Amino acid sequence: MKNKSEYKDMWVFIQHDGEKVEPVSLELMCETRKLCDASGEKLAAVIVGELCKEEYEKVLDCGADKVIHVTGTGYAFPNVDAYTNLFTVLCRKYSPSVVMVGGTVFGRDFAPRFACRLPTGCTSDATELVYDEKTGDIEFIEPAVGGRMMAVITVPVMRPQVGTIRPGTFKYAPAGRRECSVIEERVDYPEEKIRTKILSFKADEFDESLNIADAEVIVCVGNGLKGADALPKYRLLAERLGGKLACSRPVFDRGILPYKLVVGQSGTVVKPKLYISFGISGAVNHVTGFSDAACVIAVNKDPDAAIFNYCDYGIVGDMDEICEGMLEKLKESE
Amino acid sequence: MLNILVCVKQVPDVNLVKIDPVTGSLIRKGVPSILNPLDANALEAAVQVKEQYGGTVTCITMGPDQAMEALRECLAAGADRAVLLSDRAFANADTLATSYVIVSAAKLLGEFDLIFCGKESLDGATGQMGSQLAERFDASQISSMSKILSVDENNKTVTAERELEKGIEKCEAKLPCLFTVEKTNYRARIPNFRSWKASRKADIEKYTSQTIPALDPMQIGDPGSPTKVPRTYPPEAGSKGCIIDEGSTERNVEKLIDVIREVL
Amino acid sequence: MSDYNKLTSALAQELKAIVGENRFQCGEQVKEDYSHDEMPIYGRFMPEAVCLVESTEEVSAIMKLCRENKIPVTVRGAGTGLVGGCVPINGGIVLGTERMNRILSYDMKNLVVHTQPGVLLCDLAADALAHGLMYPPDPGEKTATVGGNVSTNAGGMRAVKYGVTRDYVLAMTVVLPNGEIMKLGKTVCKTSSGYSLLHLMIGSEGTLGIITELTLKLIPKPEKDVSLILPFKDIATAIASVPEIKLANLDPQSIEFMERDIVDSSAAFTGNAVFPTVVNGKEAGAYILVTLVGGGEDELTVKMERLSEVAEKTGAYDMLVVWTDGLKKDVWAARSAFLTVIEAETKLLDEMDVVVPVDRIAEFLVYTHDEAEKQGVRVRSFGHAGDGNLHIYCCSNELEEDEFKRRVRKLMDLCYAKCTEFEGQVSGEHSIGHAKKAYLRQSVGDTAYGLMGAIKKVFDPDGILNPGKVVD
Repeated sequence: MKNKSEYKDMWVFIQHDGEKVEPVSLELMCETRKLCDASGEKLAAVIVGELCKEEYEKVLDCGADKVIHVTGTGYAFPNVDAYTNLFTVLCRKYSPSVVMVGGTVFGRDFAPRFACRLPTGCTSDATELVYDEKTGDIEFIEPAVGGRMMAVITVPVMRPQVGTIRPGTFKYAPAGRRECSVIEERVDYPEEKIRTKILSFKADEFDESLNIADAEVIVCVGNGLKGADALPKYRLLAERLGGKLACSRPVFDRGILPYKLVVGQSGTVVKPKLYISFGISGAVNHVTGFSDAACVIAVNKDPDAAIFNYCDYGIVGDMDEICEGMLEKLKESE
Repeated sequence: MLNILVCVKQVPDVNLVKIDPVTGSLIRKGVPSILNPLDANALEAAVQVKEQYGGTVTCITMGPDQAMEALRECLAAGADRAVLLSDRAFANADTLATSYVIVSAAKLLGEFDLIFCGKESLDGATGQMGSQLAERFDASQISSMSKILSVDENNKTVTAERELEKGIEKCEAKLPCLFTVEKTNYRARIPNFRSWKASRKADIEKYTSQTIPALDPMQIGDPGSPTKVPRTYPPEAGSKGCIIDEGSTERNVEKLIDVIREVL
Repeated sequence: MSDYNKLTSALAQELKAIVGENRFQCGEQVKEDYSHDEMPIYGRFMPEAVCLVESTEEVSAIMKLCRENKIPVTVRGAGTGLVGGCVPINGGIVLGTERMNRILSYDMKNLVVHTQPGVLLCDLAADALAHGLMYPPDPGEKTATVGGNVSTNAGGMRAVKYGVTRDYVLAMTVVLPNGEIMKLGKTVCKTSSGYSLLHLMIGSEGTLGIITELTLKLIPKPEKDVSLILPFKDIATAIASVPEIKLANLDPQSIEFMERDIVDSSAAFTGNAVFPTVVNGKEAGAYILVTLVGGGEDELTVKMERLSEVAEKTGAYDMLVVWTDGLKKDVWAARSAFLTVIEAETKLLDEMDVVVPVDRIAEFLVYTHDEAEKQGVRVRSFGHAGDGNLHIYCCSNELEEDEFKRRVRKLMDLCYAKCTEFEGQVSGEHSIGHAKKAYLRQSVGDTAYGLMGAIKKVFDPDGILNPGKVVD
């Protein structure tokens, strides 16, 4: 095995459908750019198949030093067999130090698999990435044990260090274009060896109320919620403020609201102007879901609740009472 | 006859885990261990396939002796056979080392057509085990599986539905196939007294590093785990927000509305 | 009786001086919540002031002041009652115990706990468990205060094995209507020492005195428990199994019954379809939920064996074992959600809490359902099959309130008469308040009702304590 210092370059897998790049891939380009700046390594985007010009430019704008452009058979639709093979072949050939993959369903499918085949270490769902100058390792930092502590995970010996990262974890803030070389790679995977087939796809009926990722105002209810019968007033409050209702994980676990409304590490990451939380204790895996909110208001009956450490304004009190009070005040002023 | 494997894990009930406020370390004492909830859904999916197509369901887990309790739970809920992989040498394994041990042991149990596991575990929650088990079994994989539609033993294929980000995908895969299961359609059953009682007395087979031949010591436990956890620390508390306390709820709410007006 | 005085601003100042500004609400400041309990259909009555007391001495001072000035006083715990017991129907002041929420001390040698009355049942239960002990009474409403539990002699699911709240009250501190402080009972398990004023106080709904401290009996926590679900074809066959279960010498901790439609509603509401609806290919129409306790797995297995024989004999479709903590939590969460589910599904709600002999449960339910259909009232029910205590809820979404009340009145008249005919009681655990007074009188007769009134007069000659409740 090679010495780990012989592995160079940080790669980001660009997941796309030809017309659009998954936002998480661009977010990872931006974040990995920073790691490259810290370590002095090059940032490479791995693009499989043809991508329209506009989106391709977006990838370059994130500060790519290289593009590895892959053509060949087997990539017509997302499938674990061809992509696992592809990354195994590419990693063996080029020895990157890092491979970042967006934590989409597909990314989470094939990344651990090629890591296993290489073999190397794979981490998932880090919320912070730090380059450790002394060891030359990336520290993948993530909430653990239901958000009660933070764990630092490293891959100290093996390379590449593979990581899948949830959409929305990092900001899309392009560092700007720089000189970029393109490497053309042809890796064929025999189509008959692909063991899965997509028979059909039925898109979820688009329900705008479930789309909280782009909401400007979010009213978020937590485990303090007494039950589904207490929900309407929070929904109404969200409506009055021109926003949407969301929840923390326990409310989904209790079967009160759907998964798509869960804010947090294991849910949706939101970036509203105003975030009002009711009856949420403030476990880190929830808090990471709204860390970019411009203004956070927390309501909780427990003055020692952790959520008060993550808010701009807090009120200690009964959530129902305060919600009702807010509704009344808003009505008066109409 | 389908040969079905379900890979399960016993986990601490993380909802009950507390952190020592002084040392910042986990307080494990008194925290019950439970069968990973999504693994119970995986088992239910497997048992339903068995009931429809015929076959046997084997459950396997790696862990300390107390993990037998999780396996008994599986036997009560419809599994036919249970195997515990327990050895000090297996400890501190990450997903790569764990998948290596499980698949090495499973190969002694026969050839499996269908392999089920929960989508992720309550404690580690990496969601990586499914992919890595599939890789080591050289199986096809259907992750986030919400419903098995059909199993065709003759043509060695299976069709199923998966829950993707934006909708439901119907797909087909060749056997052997590994599924990671969503809880949507596979609520764990409550065992009846007969199967519960049988599960309490059942023999649980136990394998150690000695009973699995040709196990490479460098691929198990700590040496076989490329990922390490050099340190943990309590989450950083942000800076305390401004607590609005104007003396009464009504005045607090008034102040709050002022704040909101300013922001919006 | 009704010539009470209004609260003057001078008196309000004096009250405020007793409890301090933060714990005093007067006039416009009084929150609407204090005007009703969980059954607002019996009317809303605003108090003139609310005092959130924190000590026996404060209660005593308030009572002295109110007696001198003939101001009615109504005690309120968490306000989770279902008969208007804590509602100030004659105005005056509400004396809230919610701040008296400290568990004072445990006496591990005598297995008792000293507590203030405003502690919530769920908090006491959890705290006792943390001490390795159990507080056996287990009323469905876990966020009620223990003071409220004692005042209503609340029962709950475990009454079959352990009895009711009354059986766990050893002593209390009471403030009489004239402000005098009195200690009743001792930390002993026997007494043959005159009339039991302690027991007169229990279940008196705050009409005789105000409880400010309690000494409650605890027991060692049972080693192990298991719950069993027995699905049946219908409610009649389900209920018919109960005497057999009781005869099997299993000493169950609880025997609950539930009808299919409320199980379905609970599943839809909580998103947790924990009770199987089809068992061995058959549709379940009703369930019996039994909880057994024992010293260990072997003992429980023997008991389950016996119960499974009874289940088979009485026509249960199967016997499902709720063994793991996760399942227990799901099952009991579904059971505990019943009232919430009913409340969420309906605009107007009224209820009965009758107790009938166990062998008449099915008959009584059939009668109630038939009559409800005739009167055009939707009825949902569940309850404690082991002790014959039935919770019957009348619901409406469509009817106007007056029409609903008219129909429910008719239905209740019939049902309470039937209950009396069956040698039952008006209320098992929810009490009388002001809502069920007439039915109580009918049920116990004029002589007994008159004696109750006379007792009230002895304690409270001026009638200032929770007037208009239990007796006139």
